[in-house]
Amino acid sequence: MIRARGVQKSFGSAVVLDGIDLDVNVGEVVSILGSSGSGKSTLIRCMNGLERLDGGLITIDDFDVSNPKDLAEARKRSATVFQLFNLYPHMTAVENVTLAPIQVLRIPRAQAESEARALLDSVGLGARADAYPAQLSGGQRQRVGICRALAMKPRYLLLDEITSALDPEMTAEVLNILAQLARTGTTMVFVTHEIEFARTISSRIVFLDKGRLVVDLPTDRFFAGDGGMANARIAQFLSKMRKE
Amino acid sequence: MRYTSFTSYDLILLAQGLGVSVALFLVTTLIGFLIGTIWAVMRFYRVPLLTPLITFLAELLKNSPVLVQLFLVFFGLPALLKINVTPVEAAVITLSGNTAAFIYVIAVAAIESIGRDQIESARVFGLSRWQILRHVVAPQAMAFAIGPLTGLLVNQLQVTSLISVIGVVDLTKIGNILNLRTLKPFIVWTVVGGLYYIAAKLIALGGARLERRLRAHTAWKGL
Ligand SMILES: Nc1ncnc2c1ncn2[C@@H]1O[C@H](COP(=O)(O)OP(=O)(O)O)[C@@H](O)[C@H]1O
Ligand SMILES: [Mg+2]
Repeated sequence: MIRARGVQKSFGSAVVLDGIDLDVNVGEVVSILGSSGSGKSTLIRCMNGLERLDGGLITIDDFDVSNPKDLAEARKRSATVFQLFNLYPHMTAVENVTLAPIQVLRIPRAQAESEARALLDSVGLGARADAYPAQLSGGQRQRVGICRALAMKPRYLLLDEITSALDPEMTAEVLNILAQLARTGTTMVFVTHEIEFARTISSRIVFLDKGRLVVDLPTDRFFAGDGGMANARIAQFLSKMRKE
Repeated sequence: MRYTSFTSYDLILLAQGLGVSVALFLVTTLIGFLIGTIWAVMRFYRVPLLTPLITFLAELLKNSPVLVQLFLVFFGLPALLKINVTPVEAAVITLSGNTAAFIYVIAVAAIESIGRDQIESARVFGLSRWQILRHVVAPQAMAFAIGPLTGLLVNQLQVTSLISVIGVVDLTKIGNILNLRTLKPFIVWTVVGGLYYIAAKLIALGGARLERRLRAHTAWKGL
């Protein structure tokens, strides 16, 4: 499981995460909501070791991401999908997907490649496996991004607003894949503004506000009038999101 | 036949001179490329102490005339260290160092042009710093650098002509010899200039071809 305890993070004098406690158990989909600047991306970046914690603890299956000796193992257990895809532009889709399995997991190239092609096929990109990112649409690129993460066979998927750079049609392409992953029991930490979609796939929803975790509730409780909606900030956030 | 007229043997002389110029160019480019790249890699690894030292050395080499550096190596070093430096050795040392300094600058700019997002997305998947350099940074940096690199090499070919002043019998020196003998400076220097031009053009063409290959991935080929 992913466990965060009292996580503190500041940039200069700005406190961005202020004592975050969060557990994500295997099999759960935990969606993180919150307005822009509330610290959602920073929390994900603390989980995958891209930011150093200023205080508190994050462990992934008991591997401490702040401990350089544990970090490699922690990173093998989680995989990140980025908002802006962050594909390697000089590599084809299949090369993007196989790089880490070959280099980090030491999977033989032929095996990594056939697994990558099967993955790309499963997200409808079988015919585009040898295309470069510049030759793919945004939605296709993000599907490659998801395959790149899945190819590491991670126990936890960390997804940071992976559809916010996409138009509605492409967003649907990508969300369909996530829905499928959720059905097969993939554990996900899902930062999103797609409220309705989050509602359909999440086991729990947490709400971040100014670096604090305001609520952490089962999905139905989050949307209940006497649950999350009882919180003025959350009610305001949800009504604003629904209008957009 | 008069002493001052051109003979077919002069063509062989010119070819030899061109060969010396091109060979020196190739050798010093190779050495300079290796050294300049190693310097840039050390900077990528943020090796303490060494990085500012390399930057300072590169600045020195970049900002002083190559001819002065050549005199320093050819006349200065032997006087200081009581060693013997042949013209060819002095030429190789000076031109390699000069090329290294410029390649270092190009390589550093190329590495810094790679977005942080690229390095981060490799890091989260557990790639080591070396694997990131090798598979993510270097290929993209090379595609970025090939244009400036081609320009540099075309220029470095011209710079080799300086070594004729310390007695290396390169193309320019041959030009000098033919000029003194035939007393036809216009013809001699036109031919010599033309040969440099052709060699430079070949470098530029090769660079452009390589650039097209390295940047193939950015081309939109339709869905
Ligand atoms: N590298 C950084 N340097 C300085 N400030 C940062 C950095 N990354 C994020 N921030 C700040 O931290 C706050 C939270 O950012 P972020 O985690 O990206 O929020 P969210 O993803 O919820 O929109 C913002 O105010 C942002 O400006
Ligand atoms: Mg964000």
